Amino acid sequence: MNYESIWLVLLFPILGFLIQALLGTRIEKTLGRKVLGGLAVLPIALSFAVGLVITLGTKGGTSNTATIGQWINAGNLSIPFEFIVDPLSMTMVLIITGVGALIHLYATGYMSEEREYARFFTYMNLFIASMLLLVLGANLLLLYVGWEGVGLCSYLLIGFWYKDLANAKAANKAFIVNRIGDWGLSLGLMLIVVFLLSQGNHVQDGRYLSYDTMLPALQNGLAANPAMATAIALLLFVGAAGKSAQFPLYIWLPDAMAGPTPVSALIHAATMVTSGVVLLNRMHVVFEMSPVASAIVCVIGAFTALFAALIAFGQTDIKKVLAYSTVSQLGFMFIACGAGAYWAGMFHVTTHAFFKALLFLGAGAVIHAMAHNQDMRNYGNLRKYLPITFWTMVVGTLAICAVGIPGVFGFAGFYSKEAILGGALANTHAQINGVQLGQISGWVGLGVALLTSIYMTRLTCLTFLGSEERWRAIPAHTEEHHAEDHAENSDTHHALDENHTPHEVPISMWLPLVVLALLSIGGGYFLANGGAFEHWLYPSGLPVLGEVSTEPTGIPLAMYSMIAALGGIALGLVFYLKGLPKNQGFDESQWLGLRRAERDQFGFDNAVTVAAVDGGGDIARGLWKWVDVALIDGIVEGFGKISGGLGELMRRWQTGYIRLYALMMLLGLVGLIGFFAIVFQRGVR
Amino acid sequence: MNGVPLAAYIGLGLFMFTTGVVGVIVRKSPIVIFMCIELMLNSVNLTFLAFARYQMVPVASPERLQHSMMAGQMIVIFVMAVAAAEVAVGLGIIMAIFRLRDNVDIDEMNLLRG
Amino acid sequence: MNQTVGGVAVTPELLMFGAIAGAAAICAVGVVAFNNAVRSALCLVVNFFLLAVLYFTLNAEMLGITQVVVYTGAIMVLFLFVVMLLNLGGSKLVHEKSDWKKFVGILLGCGLFVILGAQILPQLVHVQPMQLDQDLAKFGGPEAIGRTLFTEYAYPFEAVSVLLLIGIVGSILLAKRRI
Repeated sequence: MNYESIWLVLLFPILGFLIQALLGTRIEKTLGRKVLGGLAVLPIALSFAVGLVITLGTKGGTSNTATIGQWINAGNLSIPFEFIVDPLSMTMVLIITGVGALIHLYATGYMSEEREYARFFTYMNLFIASMLLLVLGANLLLLYVGWEGVGLCSYLLIGFWYKDLANAKAANKAFIVNRIGDWGLSLGLMLIVVFLLSQGNHVQDGRYLSYDTMLPALQNGLAANPAMATAIALLLFVGAAGKSAQFPLYIWLPDAMAGPTPVSALIHAATMVTSGVVLLNRMHVVFEMSPVASAIVCVIGAFTALFAALIAFGQTDIKKVLAYSTVSQLGFMFIACGAGAYWAGMFHVTTHAFFKALLFLGAGAVIHAMAHNQDMRNYGNLRKYLPITFWTMVVGTLAICAVGIPGVFGFAGFYSKEAILGGALANTHAQINGVQLGQISGWVGLGVALLTSIYMTRLTCLTFLGSEERWRAIPAHTEEHHAEDHAENSDTHHALDENHTPHEVPISMWLPLVVLALLSIGGGYFLANGGAFEHWLYPSGLPVLGEVSTEPTGIPLAMYSMIAALGGIALGLVFYLKGLPKNQGFDESQWLGLRRAERDQFGFDNAVTVAAVDGGGDIARGLWKWVDVALIDGIVEGFGKISGGLGELMRRWQTGYIRLYALMMLLGLVGLIGFFAIVFQRGVR
Repeated sequence: MNGVPLAAYIGLGLFMFTTGVVGVIVRKSPIVIFMCIELMLNSVNLTFLAFARYQMVPVASPERLQHSMMAGQMIVIFVMAVAAAEVAVGLGIIMAIFRLRDNVDIDEMNLLRG
Repeated sequence: MNQTVGGVAVTPELLMFGAIAGAAAICAVGVVAFNNAVRSALCLVVNFFLLAVLYFTLNAEMLGITQVVVYTGAIMVLFLFVVMLLNLGGSKLVHEKSDWKKFVGILLGCGLFVILGAQILPQLVHVQPMQLDQDLAKFGGPEAIGRTLFTEYAYPFEAVSVLLLIGIVGSILLAKRRI
């Protein structure tokens, strides 16, 4: 099976989606949930198998395009249905289908007590299909279709428990903020086409947006036009920032935690949010041509990483901590892409998929065990009750903290984070007016790595360690859990109270945890061994920048990152091993000012809401009152009133007296004849 | 008759016509208004016959001449027939109205008032 | 007697015409002017007679006879019947108030006469009747009219007969007390 069969990878999830959409509830009723769950996991697993075979046949640096048919043929522009098989797309395919299959398996257990089981997996399969289209599409327009598709599925899945208004609002927020990013992306697409058309020499076959024809044309055309390169790059980055939750478009990601945990794991950790990085990797030529845009990418990535890491300290909801952690790690990926080390960004995408999915699924197991209570202040000593979850989460934490011994062995995150920071510090590409913003971003990233270790250790300590089982001190501090909203049987959905004993999750849930833990341990080592991943993606370096180094000279990066990782863990243990400090408890007035600010995202979300939502509402109301009601309705009704007024005037002539009518006729007759007689003077014959 | 200019006949017709028009506007009784309408119709008849007799425009052939002269007569015949029918019906209407109200005054019939 | 008035030769025919036409005009004014409906009707009868004479001078003999028979003999008789039935003459004299409509009406009527007359009459002053030979002189006779009516104008003839039928039916319906 070679690259021509790549369409099979896309076909299976689509079939799965269709079968579940049309027959899902019937299968659930007749054959039971286990069969339906299996039917959901099966297509993804099949896609993974096919993808694996094709990947093994894909040599480094090669790129093949399989064309299925023609889609758009409009004048100069030709967009075929084509799929690209190259290391970048196959990496993403394996991540999406591999991690996706594991998450689907997990979800069959997690969602087993929920209503509308079939609908959930329908949406999940649709999401996988859209994401595959995004990465496999061989032209930007197919990418855009997949882009929109994942946005849609994100909306559907975040708002899965739509009966709760807060969830629906979160789904709306995700979609709308994504839309802003999409606006930038579509403008970027259009600008590319316009630019290429203005170049004169026509792209082969008129395929202006296909990677194999567009990228060389862009490389030639933009060499002399760095301003255009900056423009295109920044527009594409707006799209990437929307999807990948960079500042200021990150605000949807924390709210998106309202969806079920498998959704958070799949979409908001492993796959959808990495679309931005994929886009940058596809279009890296443009960014290579524009140091300014690359510098901006670096700066925003670094700022986002720092901002999100700080906010994570003020969060008490376990999923929110992980959400901000995702935002922060995405910032890292953008630092790498901005600096020119694109392969490092993709490397971190891969390892991040492993450990972040692991962390989310583990958190989901904890939530499941704790009767859907997500507040870490109610946890404590859970390692006694949830051993598998505990050990896998520890692995995940070590991976994200980038723990490792240089030159010997490291967890997955160790290699990727070092590659990112090394790439940022070693290269001079990302600069504006000589200011080495890329390198500055690298130093910031190092600091954020320290912060990452601290807050992740905080999470682990509060949840699993310590000896105090804080949930037994309730019911003073819990919110009510409305089981009837989404539970299939209310009696199995237990409540959290002082007699609650958490139990470990079923095998369908801990098996994916174990697999992901193994990947988090070994994945980084195998991919980085001898630069295997780097040489597979970019064997001959980048087209413009050449070989990009990730080994900065003169900086003992390995030592610094080890200090950051281990020192952060140590600090975290010191502060939080005994549980929650007194000034961080449920009484939030006792919190430090900084922590309170962090909890509220430094007021940014509120500001955006007031400006955009309330401001927009005010503008809309004002327009309605003044333009629609007063002006337009006034004009329309004004016409009516004028007609009515004229009619009132003319009424007076309808007296009903026939003689008057006859008189008027005579008047008209005389007038007309007189008019013609006088105007058209006819002489006497 | 030799010697009478066409203008004389047409002048008489015009005079009768305008008299009829004035009569329609000025008189109150519908019967008299009807009579004025008949006056107008007759003036038209006279005009047609005058033009038929006094062929003003030279025509191409004798057949056309015959046709042209007969045309005037024909129109007058039809006008007379139509006038007769109209009078019959109109007077019937007036009789019907008179049965309902005792006075026949055209100003009282103003149900078309808007 | 060979004077000319305004470029037109004064002939006995013209004088005769003038007498008849003048009487007809006076009668026409009388129709409008009399308050008494009976007197108006009688004026109209005289007018029609005089018009019949004029038709004879125009070589339209058949039509002249028809005018007498149909118009004066039938239509005016109908009018007089209705006037008598409704008792409009005599005791039912309606004194009409003069208001602005009358005045404007008379004014406009004169205006119409003046305008049309000024346009048409000057051109026709010098038009003399055509010379007729023996055949053509009979164009107003019953034979010529009959031939034309039943051949060329057969379709309008039939149509008018239908119209008359409708008129009969209509007037009967209108006049009955109960349908």
